[in-house]
Amino acid sequence: MATYDFIFDGLGLREWCGEETKTTMSMSDLLAQRKGAAESSIWELPFPSLDNLNDACPAIMQTRNLTSGLEQGFLGIRDSLRVVIDPITQPLSWFLSGALELFQTVPWFIMIPLMLAVVFLASKSWKLVALVASFILFLAFIDHYDYSMQTLAIIFVCSVLCVLLGVPIGIAMSRSNALQRGIIPVLDMLQTLPPFVYLIPLIFLFSVTEPKLYGIAIILYAIVPVVRLTDLGIRLVDKDVIEAADAFGMTDRQKLYKVQIPLALPNIMAGVNQTIMMSLAMVVIASLVSAPGLGVLVLRGIRNLELGVGLVAGLGIVLLAIILDRVTKAALARVNTSQQQ
Amino acid sequence: MSKQIKVSIQHLYKIFGDDPQSALKQVEAGMGKTELLDQYNHVLGLQDINVEMADGEITVIMGLSGSGKSTLIRHLNRLIEPTAGQIMVDGDDVMSFGPEALRKLRRERMSMVFQKFALLPHRTVLENAATPLLVRGFNKQEALSEGRKWLDRVGLQGNHNQHPHQLSGGMQQRVGIARALTSNSDIMLMDEAFSALDPLIRTDMQDLLLELQTELNKTIVFITHDLDEALKLADHLVILKDGYIVQQGEPQEILLNPNDPYIIDFISDINRARVLRVRSVMDRDTSDSETCVAEVDADSNLESLIALSNGDTSLSYRVVKDGELLGVLHMQNLVRALVPTGAAEDGVRGKQ
Repeated sequence: MATYDFIFDGLGLREWCGEETKTTMSMSDLLAQRKGAAESSIWELPFPSLDNLNDACPAIMQTRNLTSGLEQGFLGIRDSLRVVIDPITQPLSWFLSGALELFQTVPWFIMIPLMLAVVFLASKSWKLVALVASFILFLAFIDHYDYSMQTLAIIFVCSVLCVLLGVPIGIAMSRSNALQRGIIPVLDMLQTLPPFVYLIPLIFLFSVTEPKLYGIAIILYAIVPVVRLTDLGIRLVDKDVIEAADAFGMTDRQKLYKVQIPLALPNIMAGVNQTIMMSLAMVVIASLVSAPGLGVLVLRGIRNLELGVGLVAGLGIVLLAIILDRVTKAALARVNTSQQQ
Repeated sequence: MSKQIKVSIQHLYKIFGDDPQSALKQVEAGMGKTELLDQYNHVLGLQDINVEMADGEITVIMGLSGSGKSTLIRHLNRLIEPTAGQIMVDGDDVMSFGPEALRKLRRERMSMVFQKFALLPHRTVLENAATPLLVRGFNKQEALSEGRKWLDRVGLQGNHNQHPHQLSGGMQQRVGIARALTSNSDIMLMDEAFSALDPLIRTDMQDLLLELQTELNKTIVFITHDLDEALKLADHLVILKDGYIVQQGEPQEILLNPNDPYIIDFISDINRARVLRVRSVMDRDTSDSETCVAEVDADSNLESLIALSNGDTSLSYRVVKDGELLGVLHMQNLVRALVPTGAAEDGVRGKQ
């Protein structure tokens, strides 16, 4: 006798429910049997959930049918999904393996000066160049140079793609309120979903050996700020200036490239900074699905309880984060001073 | 009026709201602004506006904030679309223009100066001044040299390579004016162009505008909430209140014959002696011109006459313009003209 028998009896649905078929017994069933049919008090009234209703009427499905149904459904569309998504995302695999290859084959004595030159061009600050140099040399000195380069290569590719995809999406959002209303919930979901959750369907879709698996996970996670801040930046452009642009007969294209994007640039750059920081966060988690780099060492530290390895790799990630943050912020500050109102 | 009409606005209505067309029917049936807002939740922005702006004149549209003057000026280049009515520029119906023709109108025939300057903050002063030509696709050298010419003309010789934020408000608005002039359009729309400036700089800018105008003869539509500014600049003055025109005409005419308590109230604060001109108060009968003590110019203001006569009200003066005798000014009439058009107590403010 189950608690909710009375509903089905009362509604005359006993026929529809059918005979109780002997299904595999679960642990809780077994325990309940041992305790014997305890007299049910109102305080122990279970919630009418799927499982409890199933007790009363076998025709109602159990919750585990729901999850397995979802899984079956996903597996069902997987092959057709793959046919579409695989070719589209294939370039991502090429970019990632190309960048990994490039960052590792260029010898350190070329790579390090090259990076410092980029830092100087972006920031025009020798102090920052000195800071970055000391961090990189330290990482190289403790034999973490290769891991750092792998991490940087992945961040580089993913951030560039985030900007290339995110800025146009942000611009489109800023021009249409309907599109903005549609995209904002998606961005909210991408931002709040725990990063591990992205990985689950991706593992089913792609083979774990392919770089695009973690590439997609990183891009989905990191693209949010650049989209949001591009949208915001363009919407915040001074209405008076836009009106002046209209009054002098600018076309939409002229307005976008000569007024809106330049004036939204500080916000867009802030978005790029956030995007880079978030892809660094994700690249560590993505080591679970074979992303190379410092994350692998962190993972090793956790799995094998190698405390020192994990901590040093963690420190390396912090140093990379500081480098990336300072350099993008310095570039942002330069944009800001050149166009304060 | 012998002058040619450059811009004409006829039966222009603007109603803000979800369904302006049905609200328009109510307004045409005689519903007022307050009832329309209460019953239909639509805002009556402009109501049956008819203005003709003559070629080469400064038309000043004056009103307090909320009177619809900024809305009105934006209808001329259709930054705001009217609910009903006709806008003609050089005989072309602006309302019939498609996007391409409208853009051409904004690029080549009308330029605009804004209250908050609205310069591009990321461009230099020179690039800002050259903007209208760059937008039209002129080659950069040509556009910049034209921009340079107008920057020099408005008195910004040394600032070409600075950014707008490095300039003071008055200088930024000079850039705004240079930008409007660079477009070489016949019509200039000035939306409270000097309202954000300090009083002294504002006077400077007004003088600059009048000086440019004697030379360039543009058709200028100037918006202001400042009566002194309006009277100084206007060839034709339009007074707007709550979206309709209270009175329009020659400024001196309005000053001497205000037809509405609202305007009487407005003009009760100003220094009449400084604003009124000799020609407005003189006698056209020249028969007793022999008794006059001296000649005065028709355009000099009454204040200068009071100074000239040393306050003696028994004197008379011959009024001349370009050597031609126009009439006779009796100082008694002058004093009479200075009597306030009463009613500051009966006016709008008196009732409160």
